[in-house]
Amino acid sequence: MTNFFYARLAASNIKKNGQIYFPYIITCIITIAFYYIMKSLSLNDGLDSLYGGGTIRQTLGLGCNVVMIFAVIFLFYTNSFLMKRREKEFGLFHILGMEKKHLMRVTGMETFYIAILGLGFGFLFGIVLDKVMFFLILRVLGREVSLGFYISREAIISTIILFLAIFFLIFLNTARRLGFSKPIELLRGGNVGEKEPKANWIFAILGALSLGTGYYLAVTVQNPVAAIAIFFVAVILVIIGTYLLFTAGSIVLLKLLRANKRYYYKTRHFIGISGMLYRMKQNAVGLSNICILSTMVLVMISSTTALMIGSDDLVSSRYPYDFIFYSKEKVYGQTDFSDREAVITQALENNGLTEKESIRLRTLEFSALKKKNGFTILKDADIEAFINDFEVLDFITLDDYNRTTGENRTLNDDEVLVCSNRVKMKSDLFVLDDFQFKIVEELKSFEYVGGGALASNIASSHIVVVKSEEILNELYEYQKEQFKEMAQEIDYIYGINVDGEEEAALNAYMEMRNGLNNLEVPENEVTGRVESKVEGAQGFYDIYGGLFFIGIFLGLLFTVAMILLIYYKQITEGYYDRERYVIMQNVGMSQKDVKASIHSQILTVFFLPLITAGIHLIFAYPVVEKILAVLNLSNTRLYVYCTIGCFAVFSLLYVAVYGWTAKLYYGIVKK
Amino acid sequence: MAILEVKSLNKIYTTRFGGNQVEALSNVSFLVEQGEYIAIMGESGSGKTTLLNILAALDTPTGGEVILDGENLSTVKEKQMSAFRRDNLGFVFQDFNLLDTFSLYDNISLPLVLMKKEYPEIREKVETISYKLGIHELLRKFPYEVSGGQKQRVAVARALITEPKLVLADEPTGALDSSSTDSLLNLFNKINEEGQTILMVTHSIKAASHAGRVLFIKDGEVFHQIYRGNNSNQEMYQKISDTLTFISTGGELDD
Repeated sequence: MTNFFYARLAASNIKKNGQIYFPYIITCIITIAFYYIMKSLSLNDGLDSLYGGGTIRQTLGLGCNVVMIFAVIFLFYTNSFLMKRREKEFGLFHILGMEKKHLMRVTGMETFYIAILGLGFGFLFGIVLDKVMFFLILRVLGREVSLGFYISREAIISTIILFLAIFFLIFLNTARRLGFSKPIELLRGGNVGEKEPKANWIFAILGALSLGTGYYLAVTVQNPVAAIAIFFVAVILVIIGTYLLFTAGSIVLLKLLRANKRYYYKTRHFIGISGMLYRMKQNAVGLSNICILSTMVLVMISSTTALMIGSDDLVSSRYPYDFIFYSKEKVYGQTDFSDREAVITQALENNGLTEKESIRLRTLEFSALKKKNGFTILKDADIEAFINDFEVLDFITLDDYNRTTGENRTLNDDEVLVCSNRVKMKSDLFVLDDFQFKIVEELKSFEYVGGGALASNIASSHIVVVKSEEILNELYEYQKEQFKEMAQEIDYIYGINVDGEEEAALNAYMEMRNGLNNLEVPENEVTGRVESKVEGAQGFYDIYGGLFFIGIFLGLLFTVAMILLIYYKQITEGYYDRERYVIMQNVGMSQKDVKASIHSQILTVFFLPLITAGIHLIFAYPVVEKILAVLNLSNTRLYVYCTIGCFAVFSLLYVAVYGWTAKLYYGIVKK
Repeated sequence: MAILEVKSLNKIYTTRFGGNQVEALSNVSFLVEQGEYIAIMGESGSGKTTLLNILAALDTPTGGEVILDGENLSTVKEKQMSAFRRDNLGFVFQDFNLLDTFSLYDNISLPLVLMKKEYPEIREKVETISYKLGIHELLRKFPYEVSGGQKQRVAVARALITEPKLVLADEPTGALDSSSTDSLLNLFNKINEEGQTILMVTHSIKAASHAGRVLFIKDGEVFHQIYRGNNSNQEMYQKISDTLTFISTGGELDD
């Protein structure tokens, strides 16, 4: 019977406080939907069929953790402001004879209802949104993606566990507040302004440290393989830093503005600044949330767009020729490949393709340990060295270089040209143990037929152009001595460009593969393999289709979340401020003053998150660049343009959302 | 010279459902002279608050007019109404209506800020008025940190700081204990002696007994009025009390 009473009281409390509960419930629903979508995406079986599926899964998994931290902070704060608003009501219940344990029971029931509502509608909304977005994005991309739509049981279970835990913590926090408070304090609670955090300067220092470390990690990361893991550590540090610094920083800023009397005692600033100081923590958390979401959206959309726009570039840098044949030989110029080339030529003919141009060249490629003053492949070299201290050296002759580029360069025996794909040499000498060459020039770019595979290699690599075949042979013998059975052979590469249909090229490719597989070659020789640009491009689009999808999906999701956050902030603050604005209008504040004051408030802090997101984006650049490099996008200028473009479009959206919500706010506070 | 003229004021409310019409005020007329201290008394539902809202330009009458210092309220444009109210009227409310977001200092300076005064002028006026009202020590505190009597003094300071033509007080002692009530009423007398016109709506006999003239409203009409003349507060209290008894027993007055 009494149980029933508390259950009913809890329900009617929520209904009665609908105005403040409605936005909170919406927030819960969206956060839950959001987490569910993230989680189910990271568990999607389709990921396995994607290029780098493991990495993407790991990335999404880490992304889930980010969303989780976000959810905890966000729900905790929105709830504590809500409870603060209700303290008066609790005080009244208390004075009317409810004991604290009864109050706790009521709040417990309330939290339970919210949890049920939030989870129920959260899943409904999440699943529907998931489905709708799948449909829309596939329409826009205009191609199939191997990620199917599905309802993940595992994701539902983990979402339920996580959010029940969060709601339980929220309840404990409420109970703690009720337990420690005196009824009279509760009665006044709703009116008391937020106190400045006692240790504001510690917040500031911790925030600066955290943000600084995050930035430092992002800027100094060298190894693309480690980039993804480091990226997430940096993201979490930056999130923590943003919260702490926004809290400390915005309070300091507002207090400085208040201390400046001539600024503060102006109609436009007076109300806004005092209002923001009154709820300084809520203000800071709201702004940090918006800032973090904005950054996520920007990183996600700009990198995805860069990948999407860059994918044609990627294909042509990965596949410089329509068909490329690779094989190996033991000693420079010793093996005859005419039988293998005949298979290829035959396949082209059979499919009505005509050869436009072709090239044949030889390269030697092996890994060497990077030391302070050069490279080494000596056996006794530091075997403990990290794998990322190894870099790839790719040697070709000047003749092959000149034929590829159409240039007519000359070199001396002790001179080389160098082209590095990731990290420049920054030296006048190229040293490999006892070999020492003068670097005549560091080439900005050099695309040659053998460089495609190199370009997609995530390790740092250097193409070294040596004068003659003799030198190449010396290097070959030397590495053979050192590496023994692990030694590399010289690569023979044959690239052909053709005229003809894509369909024919695909058929020709199949024929070549079969032909080569069935070819008998002398002992100690390898048949070799062939690559086709058309076939490779298809694979590329399959792979990147999934990536675009995830990028756009999450980007849109975060955008929706950001809009809702801004909406939530404006609506709740509108209701909080309404009473005050009514009083002020009674003592003579005009509608014009109300509008001016709202705009001043917006201009003081509203663009802070956007500006900070921009700064985050600049610091994220080095690490995102590395991650994109893993995905084969090395055209960093394209990424920069995409980022600037996305930032511009996003800013417009941000301004529009603000304009819209400021109107809503005005509608609420005006009499 | 009359600072406020109220001429045959009518206010008719139409209930939301059905067309029942309720007459909240009917044919209310009176004059308030410069420097007068008037109390308007009446029971709950007698139309006091409606009258006050109309005087404060927060509500519009159905008929009749209100002229403040020669300006007819109905001719003031909607857009200028806020400024008009701010520049000419000072308000003291029963529940203080102080803003929690502002320190007491800022609460007092609010009207001046809205009037776009410069800070040095604001500072000077706030200091002057707060010394006068004995709240100077409290200025850095927030409304939730001081007592009801102190809050009401701050509200009075806020009302007076613009040097309004008329101070409108709505049950100013309604939320105060008796000693705070006494000190507030003495404060009203003091500022009235300095020439401030005050119009107070109340149903506290004690509060009304401090006024120079008391108007009684019953069923939307001005029913009776008492002038202080040379009476003391005590005698005034007795007279008001007698009148109220008379009204509530339903008698008619001849004069």
